[in-house]
Amino acid sequence: MAKKATQEVEKKPEEAPSKRVPRPSTATLVRLCVAGWLIPGFGHFLLGRKWRALILFIAIIAMFLFGLAMKGEFYATGTGSYLETLGYFGEMCVGIAMPVAKFFSYAGDPFFVSSDFGTAFLVTAGMLNVLAVFDVFDIAIGRKS
Amino acid sequence: MALTQFPALLLFSFLVSVVFGLLAKDTPRERVIYGAKVFAAFVGIAIILGWLMYPFPL
Repeated sequence: MAKKATQEVEKKPEEAPSKRVPRPSTATLVRLCVAGWLIPGFGHFLLGRKWRALILFIAIIAMFLFGLAMKGEFYATGTGSYLETLGYFGEMCVGIAMPVAKFFSYAGDPFFVSSDFGTAFLVTAGMLNVLAVFDVFDIAIGRKS
Repeated sequence: MALTQFPALLLFSFLVSVVFGLLAKDTPRERVIYGAKVFAAFVGIAIILGWLMYPFPL
């Protein structure tokens, strides 16, 4: 019994690798995640993953722009419909692109033939950006490389 | 831009596959393979479901 316990004690240093990434402060994590949310890929850029940042930016912004080109709709809050509220938050997750499009007085056209596809593209761009923000968080805390 | 369903499906699948591949895997080779698999799954499943729904009326 004592021998077994000794063996376990001896094994422990091997099992626990000493490669520990120092956890960044909460303020740093929040800053990285907000940056990644506002501009897709910017969180990765700040972490030094420049190629990943560039590809994410192009893919997510392209999805958003295709959604605009297909005259997808922006959902609104306060309509009383939970699904529309969810859609609003989904689209808002794409970051600064949504208010910019609104600033340039973009308004979707629900009667356009591809409008439904466009709306799906807009929401999906937001959802993909959420995944990118989670990836930034994981990289920052050392869970991912 | 007016797209019919299949080009819209291809475009959607491609962009989502790029992001999934990039985020899910670590090496470029794994990313390309995984992205291609996701793309094929999106398109293939959509076509299979489309044919399965074909006999049903709207």
